[in-house]
Amino acid sequence: MTPPASPLGGGQGAQSTVHGRPCPDLATAAYRAARRQSGPVRWPGHGPSSAGRRTVGSVARLVALILFHGLTGCGGAGEPSAGSTDGFRGVPLVPPIPRSDFTLTDTEGRAFHFAEETAGRLTLLFFGYTNCPDICPVHMANLGQVLERFPQDVRSRVRVVFVSTDPERDTPARIRAWLDAMGRGFTGLRGPLEEVNRIQARFGLPPAALPAETGTAYTVGHAAQVLAFTPDDSAHYAYPFGTRQVDWLHDLPRLLALGAR
Amino acid sequence: MQWWCAAQNAAWSWTWRAYPGVWLFMLVIAVAWVLRLRAAGTRPDRFREPRRWAFVPGWLLMWIVLDWPVGALGAGYLASVHMVQFLVLALIAPPLLLLGWPHRSAPAGEAARSSGVRFFTHPLTTLGVFTAVTIATHLPVTTDRLMPSQLGAFTIDTVWLGAGLLFWYPVLIPLHAWFGPPLRIACLFALMVLMTAPGAMITFSDLPIYATYELAPPIPGVTPLEDQRIAGIGMRLGGSMTCWIAISILFLRWARDEERLLRRELAPPG
Repeated sequence: MTPPASPLGGGQGAQSTVHGRPCPDLATAAYRAARRQSGPVRWPGHGPSSAGRRTVGSVARLVALILFHGLTGCGGAGEPSAGSTDGFRGVPLVPPIPRSDFTLTDTEGRAFHFAEETAGRLTLLFFGYTNCPDICPVHMANLGQVLERFPQDVRSRVRVVFVSTDPERDTPARIRAWLDAMGRGFTGLRGPLEEVNRIQARFGLPPAALPAETGTAYTVGHAAQVLAFTPDDSAHYAYPFGTRQVDWLHDLPRLLALGAR
Repeated sequence: MQWWCAAQNAAWSWTWRAYPGVWLFMLVIAVAWVLRLRAAGTRPDRFREPRRWAFVPGWLLMWIVLDWPVGALGAGYLASVHMVQFLVLALIAPPLLLLGWPHRSAPAGEAARSSGVRFFTHPLTTLGVFTAVTIATHLPVTTDRLMPSQLGAFTIDTVWLGAGLLFWYPVLIPLHAWFGPPLRIACLFALMVLMTAPGAMITFSDLPIYATYELAPPIPGVTPLEDQRIAGIGMRLGGSMTCWIAISILFLRWARDEERLLRRELAPPG
């Protein structure tokens, strides 16, 4: 099967770097917006007399300005950090990726048919591994914490599926324990790495890269984005590393509504 | 090798790391103190004054929060540890450093003759600057921009220390004759009230507000939001506790001085 043209540009295109930390372009946009907003502060001109009093006034105005910006969350968690222009904070996938089928084994040892089991539901698909020191636990924990904020009826319409890119070390029990620590009801899948890489290629993601010599401690190079398959059985958005809880909180209801249109 | 603790996009490790910039910074401060002590007095017992030794715990606390592991954890992993750094650098170490630093003894008001010194050591200025620095350096946009770079992290740490020294200077050193114990105590009360805003913003936020700590490689046992709430509560409690200790000391000294004055006035002449 020939992989479709990748709307992710090789799987890593949505990522950029801010101060050495990988961030999505949407975060960069937020930083830029905040910088534009804060801009240079110009105070009224100073005369020759009462300089001290006026400087006190300037300091007071500065404090007021900072207080205002701080309390209104300027540039912080409250700042819309959308990279797309359609109100979503994820990276748009053009064309959308269809929810194609694959079969792997879940943590209970049962065959899991992806398209069939997740059809019509908002499904957040992520490829990673449990020994991952940074991206995987941050993504999964953020999702788990955000989903806890939604009522049960909303939560039941969202499915988080984690596929291991390190089947050697990720035993079913280990995946289960790790996912349970991240959030409730997450699905963990594993299978031969070749099969996992074939599935990733189908979704336009790069294959997992294991080091040549694998002892007990090694890291696995893997795609850093969560694919969001909406109820219309297509992934319209990807969420790269750097997606924050505020972004998920903003987009999840919209993603649920997207398929209902 | 890093010269100053900054946010790193790497999993936390308990393997020791060297931060030569921190050592150099601490060395410069220590050497400056010793030189100042030597230059300040000719009495051979100048090192024996108990007050001078307040500098040592202040200096040690600073070193602890700037160097590995506290410095590294606070710079890029835990907002709560970052808050401990703030409390030490801005509120706890500065009064100890100032108490231990030998000042030229001058009658109240004499040292503050120049208008520049008068303005920059005016309690309203120092309180305003300290509050502005506290709020500005705890805004998400400031933290997330500065903490990932060594220069940015160094800037935050030194700005905290500078603002702390500036705030505590008029409270501890008699520069202005009119700024007596009651006003100093009022100044500390005002600080407690003013620190409520950033503390509340951090404590009561529904979501993690700092990308630096939310997206940091996780430390097991604490979520970013829990960590942030601990930081906010720590800011309120730690700040209040420091201020209350200072207020108590100022009040007791004031009461003792007043009592001495009263006794002197009531003593029979001759």
